[in-house]
Amino acid sequence: MIQHFVAFQAMKDDILNQIEASRQVIINEKNKDDPFALVVDGKALEIALRNDIKDNFLQLAVTCASVICCRVSPKQKALITRLVKKYTGKMTLAIGDGANDVGMIQEADIGIGISGMEGMQAVMASDFSIPQFRFLERLLIVHGHWCYKRISKMILYFVYKNIVFGLTLFYYEMYSRFSGDVLYDGWYMVMFNLFLTSLPVISLGVLEQDVSSDICLQFPALYQQGQKGIFFSWKRIIGWMGNGILTSLVISILNVYVLSPSAFRKGGQVVDIAHLGLTTYTTIVWTVNCQIALIITHFTWIQHIFIWGSIFSWYIFLLFYGALPPEYSKREYKLLIEAVGPAPMYWIVVLLVVVISLLPYFIYMVIQRSFYPMDDHVIQEMKYGRKVVVDDEMWLREEKSSRKPTQIGFSARVDAKILYLKDQLHRKKMFIIKSIANSPIRRSISTNPLENRD
Amino acid sequence: MNQVTNGALKSKKTSKKPEYSRFTQQELPAWKPILTPGWVITSFLAIAFLFIPIGLVSLFASERVVEIVYRYDQDCVPEMYRGNVSAYIRNSRTNKTCIGNITVPKKMDPPIFVYYQLDNFYQNHRRYVKSRSDKQLRSAAYEYSTKECEPEARFNKSGVLVPIVPCGLIAWSLFNDTYNLIKKDKVLNINKKGIAWKSDTKVKFGSNVYPKNFQSNDLIGGGKLNESIPLSKQEDLIVWMRTAALPTFRKLYGKINTSLEAHDTITVVLENNYNTYSFGGQKKLVLSTTSWIGGKNDFLGIAYLTVGGICLFMALNFILLYVFKPRPLGDPSYLSWNRKAVN
Repeated sequence: MIQHFVAFQAMKDDILNQIEASRQVIINEKNKDDPFALVVDGKALEIALRNDIKDNFLQLAVTCASVICCRVSPKQKALITRLVKKYTGKMTLAIGDGANDVGMIQEADIGIGISGMEGMQAVMASDFSIPQFRFLERLLIVHGHWCYKRISKMILYFVYKNIVFGLTLFYYEMYSRFSGDVLYDGWYMVMFNLFLTSLPVISLGVLEQDVSSDICLQFPALYQQGQKGIFFSWKRIIGWMGNGILTSLVISILNVYVLSPSAFRKGGQVVDIAHLGLTTYTTIVWTVNCQIALIITHFTWIQHIFIWGSIFSWYIFLLFYGALPPEYSKREYKLLIEAVGPAPMYWIVVLLVVVISLLPYFIYMVIQRSFYPMDDHVIQEMKYGRKVVVDDEMWLREEKSSRKPTQIGFSARVDAKILYLKDQLHRKKMFIIKSIANSPIRRSISTNPLENRD
Repeated sequence: MNQVTNGALKSKKTSKKPEYSRFTQQELPAWKPILTPGWVITSFLAIAFLFIPIGLVSLFASERVVEIVYRYDQDCVPEMYRGNVSAYIRNSRTNKTCIGNITVPKKMDPPIFVYYQLDNFYQNHRRYVKSRSDKQLRSAAYEYSTKECEPEARFNKSGVLVPIVPCGLIAWSLFNDTYNLIKKDKVLNINKKGIAWKSDTKVKFGSNVYPKNFQSNDLIGGGKLNESIPLSKQEDLIVWMRTAALPTFRKLYGKINTSLEAHDTITVVLENNYNTYSFGGQKKLVLSTTSWIGGKNDFLGIAYLTVGGICLFMALNFILLYVFKPRPLGDPSYLSWNRKAVN
């Protein structure tokens, strides 16, 4: 037993020494960009991942560009993933194809399974599954990038739209002594999130693209927008909430001040709750749908049908609801046909309120696009702006600059080879120049007689 | 031959590639609008050129509308009762007739609409709005449907509880001031027909429903109704029961079909019956003509002109900015990795 313990202590000390030595090598390295690789095997890992020395090991591993663990058991794979996740606090991705990768896949933040040779276990345990390893690039750079933008736009818009809708109800309470009278009919409120504004959001979340997939692959730097989290930051959340609050104020105040107390029709009729509710609600439906039209950058026929169809279906709903007998439609009986539709005031108010509500966001968009454009805006202009002469050379150059110099993998080896060859060439050149400089012929034709002596 | 077909069959079985469709591969034909300087200036100018004419037309229409607002609730209380207005207004034996004068500022063309305006009267309070029975109003068969109308639902007529038709607080608080307008010693005819919405008179208020036991309880809230006229013809009641959206509202009283000349003096003889004094409300008599946008509404025209003006201003600003500080479209120096290199 004691022998076992002594042998174990010796191994542990040995590994600790190796870790320290390697760390020193890295620190002493003059060229800070030179990549290091760490190779560990299963048995060493068993000791290195123990609680007392795992921090040293992880510190070393994280500074290396690449870590290769061989002969590891599935449990160790999961353990490494968990430790790296906890130690670095960063987002981890695990990819594997066999049953032994399942633990690791489940442990990482994102688990990717490759379906194929080794069966479907990895696929069933994973978040995403791909058929071949090479599709990982597409998954991250194209779909990851698109997904990030779609989800952030969708969430921010959803918050905005519900703030606009809900706050107008609260503002009305100020006019009704907080007694709880509701400005809108019950069915209007049910329809809002169900039919009238949900389909455009779905089309935004499913189909939105800022640049096409081949451009995403050509400019991997666009992926960094997701890593830096620039589309879903506190600034943006508060901005959209503010937009919602402002819009709801504009809608509420304009509708109240324009529609009362004077008559709103040539026939001298005045507005009552049903008319005010209908007009306010119509402006909300228009504003919210036009706002999403301003956000969307990729309009297919689906988006058009959903957005304009939602607005149109609101009028259809009003016609049907108003045609129901008064037992069911109560205040809304024949509201659009008889009372509100024929009044020019109704349509004019809607136009005014929609434009005023959207003007602040539009101005913000214009200023950002003109003076502080983001990467995807510039690339969109380069590719889709019709008046721009797309210089092929410039395109390729930007493509190249958008990739960071890599430290690992195929391109790194190619770069290293190129560097080595350049170095060789330089040495040869220097040798030739030196030999010419020292050649007897040159010495003989040089004017300084003293030089001959050297 | 056999080998070829075998090979073809084999490749069909082993390929797992899904069917290509433009939708699943997200390659649907799409319009990708780019906000270029041209679009920016075009949109601002388009809004300006649309809004400024609409604003001018609306403002012009509103300017043509003539509106006279005559507040009478303060002046119509006689001197001796000004200390205890509540008692005066509730006493059915005091004299409520009041005479005043209004001057017509500009020529008013018929039809001239007569409204009464109430301020600080919350017809949109939830319990007030609920206090009615639409079923009862529609048909005589539902006379006893008075559940929502408490406490103005039933009347104890010598031991028997009979329903009040129409029940509820809205009907109970019916406005009952009356107005007579006299011009040059001739009474102007105020047409009180056709002041309610057609859907109300034809459908929602039944022609076989007659008022019963109305205002029979101790507390009288407003006007009384003629029991021989069916509800579908009681247009004052119908207009009153369309609850207003805001605490300051007008309701149509009648229409005058003769014109009023500028500087005419109209004598108003009114019955100041309605009690707005207990809650600090105000009563006003309004005469107004209308235009295609309705009554007097300068706000709409001004709002349109303001927005049109702002957009024009923005368009001009952006034109100047694009001329003096242009950013060439698709300029790669704005890409973040190039900017970082510059920094």
